[in-house]
Amino acid sequence: MNEKEFERLLLSVQKPGRYSGGEINSVIKDKSKVDVRFAFCFPDTYEIGMSHLGMKILYSQFNSRDDIWCERVFAPWTDFEEKMRENNIPLFALESRDSIKEFDFIGFTLQYEMCYTNVLNMLDLAGLPLKALDRDEKYPLVVAGGPCVCNAEPLADFIDIFFLGEGEEVDLEVIDLYKEHKKKGFSKVEFLKAAAKIEGVYVPSLYEVEYLEDGKIKSVTPKGNAPKTIKKRIIGDMDTAFYPDKFVVPFIQIVHDRAVQEVFRGCIRGCRFCQAGFIYRPVREKSYEVVNSQAKCLCENTGYDEISLSSLSTSDYRELEPLLNNMLEWTQENHISLALPSLRIDNFSEELLEKIAHVRKSGLTFAPEAGTQRLRDVINKNVTEEEILSTCKTAFEGGYTSVKLYFMMGLPTETDEDLKGIAELGQKIVDMYYSLPNKPKGKSVSVSMSVAVFVPKPFTPFQFEPQITKEEMERKQNYLKSCITTRKIDLSMHDSSTSFLEAVFAKGDRRLGAVLESAYKKGCKFDSWTECFQIEKWNEAFSECGIDPDFYSLRTRDYDEINPWDHLDYAVSKEFLIRENKLAHADTTTPNCREKCSACGANCYGEGVCFERR
Amino acid sequence: MRDVRVFYRKKGAMKFVSHLDMNRFMTRLINKAKIPIWFTEGFNQHAYFNFAVPLSLGFEGQYEVLDLRIITPDYSNEQLVLDLNKASIPDIEFLDAKEPILKMKEIVFAEFKVIFDELNVELAEKINGFFAREQIITQKTTKKGGTKDIDIAPLIKKWVLKENELTLILTAGNENNLNPNLVLSTFFESEKIAPVDYSVIRTMIYDKNLNPFK
Repeated sequence: MNEKEFERLLLSVQKPGRYSGGEINSVIKDKSKVDVRFAFCFPDTYEIGMSHLGMKILYSQFNSRDDIWCERVFAPWTDFEEKMRENNIPLFALESRDSIKEFDFIGFTLQYEMCYTNVLNMLDLAGLPLKALDRDEKYPLVVAGGPCVCNAEPLADFIDIFFLGEGEEVDLEVIDLYKEHKKKGFSKVEFLKAAAKIEGVYVPSLYEVEYLEDGKIKSVTPKGNAPKTIKKRIIGDMDTAFYPDKFVVPFIQIVHDRAVQEVFRGCIRGCRFCQAGFIYRPVREKSYEVVNSQAKCLCENTGYDEISLSSLSTSDYRELEPLLNNMLEWTQENHISLALPSLRIDNFSEELLEKIAHVRKSGLTFAPEAGTQRLRDVINKNVTEEEILSTCKTAFEGGYTSVKLYFMMGLPTETDEDLKGIAELGQKIVDMYYSLPNKPKGKSVSVSMSVAVFVPKPFTPFQFEPQITKEEMERKQNYLKSCITTRKIDLSMHDSSTSFLEAVFAKGDRRLGAVLESAYKKGCKFDSWTECFQIEKWNEAFSECGIDPDFYSLRTRDYDEINPWDHLDYAVSKEFLIRENKLAHADTTTPNCREKCSACGANCYGEGVCFERR
Repeated sequence: MRDVRVFYRKKGAMKFVSHLDMNRFMTRLINKAKIPIWFTEGFNQHAYFNFAVPLSLGFEGQYEVLDLRIITPDYSNEQLVLDLNKASIPDIEFLDAKEPILKMKEIVFAEFKVIFDELNVELAEKINGFFAREQIITQKTTKKGGTKDIDIAPLIKKWVLKENELTLILTAGNENNLNPNLVLSTFFESEKIAPVDYSVIRTMIYDKNLNPFK
């Protein structure tokens, strides 16, 4: 397709900037001078994928090597996909506009379960057979990383290699191995066998899964010399870890349209519902000097006038005070605004609030997750009502008039009392606002409360727990609505059919591959987008494949049941998860990693918070 | 503090960047290039710059104009162009920087080159006939959502068809602005022919006497 025809096509779709390429800092190389071409695919729209930090890190890191050219690929929106199929345009990479079928690797990052149909659609658009078995040496290797890999069994039929944990090292080791194999005449089978010996590499085709009569897993057996368990990889020293000095700066507005500076990985808290809090263990911090200089460099090379600090819980960063002091020096001088997402309520000090207020007043958001202290203890969200109220008080006195609170519904052991607690907490915040003598004058308060449906995830203490049924959810939603009596509270509860599907795929096994393929063939894609999600088609796919989704999501799993992900080792032991599950049912909290070690197993790397001096 | 008028070219992938996105792009480019630009004071401080006339999505622009306010007195225009180009991408190329002579509102006309992929004799004749009309009525959607008939003939200052290239000088600016896409779609509709492919380049903007805007 020539340039002119391509341009015409772009002009006929929404947001052509999604497909045009050519952004500032995008990397162009001479393809005849590289050994390995890597198509980094994000299975969602440009705006979402371009906001993803992991992709920015690996894109820059791969491209820092002369022998690799890494390019970006996103899922085309439905309007452009239609044009591509009409005009026989295969899925292309933004930098070179070459078809990714010519590449050596097609790599997906799997950030959420609801993107799986997009993975299949992108493979199909690229002109690849969907199933790994049907792809011989003629085709690129299809690899995948990201948090969903901790149980990517539903994608096992389609992906050649999964990367467990952080990709910076293991990805390059596999690329180097590929180069070696390419030199001596490439055999896919031999290569996969050799790759499986690298720590963190999971080749699903090298494992045989057998099932019991009741549908549970009987055994997972490695073939040949493949390891029995596959252990995730981490980067030990964050100060010397690769971090990009520039980001590709998009033309169109993306979701997080700013520079993003990572401050640490992992989280000390261990909230029992939170997968990220377990699979990214142990906590490893960057020193504030490194964070400060990397952040400054990013702003200089991108021209962004906004930067945010990124981590799972930024106020747990031990050097936050010196970091903010250092950063404010240059950000203020250069009219750059500094954003601090992911702050926790309990250690949100007045000085900190003042520092943020100094920069820019945006929304104030808290995530108490549950309405009563008992349930917050169950989920190990160690935040008290007093702390929530006193933080809101500080914020209101500082001029804020609206707060946003996030909750979950359907948590293990939840009763109507706990739901009522959500409404009562909101009411207490409203009442407290009006009781303040120095509240902002003439302004009304607004408390937004968003309540999502709990999805139990692998590698959390709640992996054994069932999700609530749709009927139960509707009953709970109606009950909660009836508990709210003031208009100052804005309650939002989304339709949660996607949460139910998410639970099925999060805890699913290989047999779901057939359902996925069937749903995809029926036209399912962009399942996380309400305008595209088609629950009827999914239901059809389940019944045609003879698979009951409730088997995966609505069942309490025994501690000794073999889970589809039990052969993967994310450094948190199953014994620890069982201990934590029992503590949850006893309404007992667990101290955070800095207070007391709970022997989760993540100290096996000899790095991070487990070895901090206190 | 002084105002500088910068001239640049917009092409390639940048053609797909809308005017709103151009604003963001330019803010970042100016930051990246470390231009000593003046920031507005007040609640929402931002770098101070102004585009002349917006360029439609999909058009190439060869004489695009941007006004900046510089705070460092000894920062030369040559340096400004150099710094901007160093920070920029090939599809936005800065050509020149000068002291502004006219005011933005003195822009009255813009010149476009409409290049047809293919143009046969029959179509060329039709084009010539179309532009020779005294009245060219088209429908324009009003702000209230309805449509009204307007005559665009008075807004077409000049037209020349040479081989497959149609040069148009159209009224531009805040009060009356005629988009070549509207002229072409009116042509195809009134002649009841299927639209043919073409691309558009804005080559110049003029004052009321058809002198290049400076």
